[in-house]
Amino acid sequence: MLRRIHLRPRVGVAALMCLVVAIAAWVLFAGQAKRLEWTAASEAALRKPTGYPQLISVEPFPGMDGQMCQWVPANAMTSLRTALQQERRAAQTAAQATPPGFPSAAQQTEVQERSPLRIIRDPYPAFSSVAVDTVHDEVIFTDENLFQILVYDRMDNTPPTATMTEPKRVISGLQTKIEFNCDLYIDPKTGDIYTIAHDSGGMPLTIFSRQAKGDVPPTREIDTPKGTYGIAVDEEAEEIFLAIQHDSAVVVYEKYAARDDPPIRLLQGDKTMLGDAHGIALDTKNKLMFVSNYGSSSSRAPLPQREGEAWETGQERERKPNWPLQRSQAIPGTGRILPPSINVYPIKAQGDVPPLRIIQGPKTQMNMPSHLFMDEERGELYLANDMDNSILVFDSSASGDVAPKRVLKGPQTLIQNPTGVFVDIKNDELWVASFGKHVATVFQRTAEGDTPPLRVIRNGPLDAPGLMIGNPGAIGYDTKREEILVPN
Amino acid sequence: MHPQIAIFARLADGGEKPVRQIHGQKTLLSRTVHAIAYDGIHDEIVVPQQFAQAILTFRGGANGEEAPIRVIHGSLTQLQRPDRLGIDPVNNEIYVPDGGKMLVFHREANGNVAPIRVISSDSGIGGAVAIDPLNNVFVTGGSRSLQIFDRTASGHTKPLRVIGGPKNGDKIRGSKNITLYPPRGWIIVANQGVNRHRPMDYSEESFVGVWNIHDDGDVPPRWMIGGPFGALRQARGVVLDPKHKTVIVSDKYLNAALTYYFPEIF
Repeated sequence: MLRRIHLRPRVGVAALMCLVVAIAAWVLFAGQAKRLEWTAASEAALRKPTGYPQLISVEPFPGMDGQMCQWVPANAMTSLRTALQQERRAAQTAAQATPPGFPSAAQQTEVQERSPLRIIRDPYPAFSSVAVDTVHDEVIFTDENLFQILVYDRMDNTPPTATMTEPKRVISGLQTKIEFNCDLYIDPKTGDIYTIAHDSGGMPLTIFSRQAKGDVPPTREIDTPKGTYGIAVDEEAEEIFLAIQHDSAVVVYEKYAARDDPPIRLLQGDKTMLGDAHGIALDTKNKLMFVSNYGSSSSRAPLPQREGEAWETGQERERKPNWPLQRSQAIPGTGRILPPSINVYPIKAQGDVPPLRIIQGPKTQMNMPSHLFMDEERGELYLANDMDNSILVFDSSASGDVAPKRVLKGPQTLIQNPTGVFVDIKNDELWVASFGKHVATVFQRTAEGDTPPLRVIRNGPLDAPGLMIGNPGAIGYDTKREEILVPN
Repeated sequence: MHPQIAIFARLADGGEKPVRQIHGQKTLLSRTVHAIAYDGIHDEIVVPQQFAQAILTFRGGANGEEAPIRVIHGSLTQLQRPDRLGIDPVNNEIYVPDGGKMLVFHREANGNVAPIRVISSDSGIGGAVAIDPLNNVFVTGGSRSLQIFDRTASGHTKPLRVIGGPKNGDKIRGSKNITLYPPRGWIIVANQGVNRHRPMDYSEESFVGVWNIHDDGDVPPRWMIGGPFGALRQARGVVLDPKHKTVIVSDKYLNAALTYYFPEIF
């Protein structure tokens, strides 16, 4: 038993040694075979193994035509200067930050299609001017918020419980060229609607037929200066008068002028004392013209045209006869801010002539005087007095610092920031368009004081505020109060 | 049109009424206020009044028919038709692009005062301006380009960089107002877009674009918000509310103020 135990380790060791010898022999002879293959391959490539490194190829260095470092003399002074220069350059490089990379197309698309969180916008129309078609018993308004002409029945009366009165007809859309339209005139013979756009690039005076409806082009257009605010027509002379706010001017056109016809008269200049002109009214009986003014203006002079210099395209219309001098022709530093006024001129006034008289001063109660209406029958001048929430009535011969004959004002009138006023002489009624309250109100012609209206046409709910946002050309943010500032 | 600055709560929406209004004859405001700047350091509101060639500064909390606290106005001012402006409340300056030049007034200038600096350039000075007191540049916007100037520039000078070119010039079509986000060097521009409905001021291609003050040459905007073919029809004003990561845009055609959440740029 012991013998068998002693024999078995001896046999195991011998077997292990045999295995090691066999593996060693395989490695040795197999490696020899591989080396023979490599040798044959090298000989085929005309190189023979030598046991030393061999040159197998020659490649030239890259060209040396780039910028090279400047050699710096190795003395202490220049070394210090060089070190300082390098430090400064390093600082400059750090300051010249590279633009950040671009977001992915998917990220850009997601942002581009993102909807606004909130939109401050008055959803209802804002009546800015009013006129009555007494032949067809219709009342027509300009809406300066949603860019529409709205036609109602003259006798419409919105019940207190109703949200609003639906108009009979609406003219609106890109084809109409109605944008910030702020005044209108109804041709008493045809019922045609003459309306002016206040503040858009090169918007014309547009004329629509009485039955126009929807997104339709005007039947006629007349190119006018930018910033027209008020319109009045002398039917006997067949002339259209326009008050130009931007240029503190009045231009007069022939009533049936075509698109590019120039004005036939111009009233503009320092002597006229026009300033931020707004409303305009005519007294054809006494041959007078009335213009309301906020008061701001500046002196203007024609731009010199240098020899050989071509006029720019946009300047072509400025070369028309009787075209007012533009804001670009204002003389720097000549600006004026005068009190509000109503200036009175001869109806045919032109050039730089002074007014016959001016209604102006604290007794007049004027505060941002807007549209005017002349009641020739009674010799009374009506003013929509925007900031005073009132209608002021002056005698047509009023002059200087005088109080109005009548004032229509108070909470019962529902008048708020009135910009439009019209006297319906046939029906003995006074119409007021309130820009600040979604409401038009009808009164007896001679109403005064805090009188409730005879009828009301609302274009929005009774309690809906009129935001009066109009052409918000800028926006600000009050970080202290967390409020959004929207100027008109 | 009723001249006013209507002031709304940050969260106002729809037809919500303003919390206050600055309007009336005593304010000296006229309409056509095409720029407004709120100075958060001194709590003031600054606007141009182009008909009277004036710059009006109101108290930040002004309300109702309140007169401005300062008026820059008169023969020394060189003001011709101030339409837009920018303020640098850190360095106490008001920038007014006017007549192809940049007129720089001291913030506290009042009455008939001359500008402290007048900057001009061969390439002209654009119509909109915003100042970055952190990176010491100001940016002006022309009809087809944005120009980046050294903030301390004076006299006749050259812009440091001009963004615009044949590929992306249309992207900078009618940059009406500019605002900056200095911590990240963003230039945010209200672009009215290519107007294909003349004479209407209406463009479906209107948008607010974002560039960087280090951009140079014919670089497209990194971001466009509100369009093209979005909600905007005539972007005119733009301002940031960094605290709530929003950009607020006024739109002339919509008669509206739109607030967009835009955290990517803050």
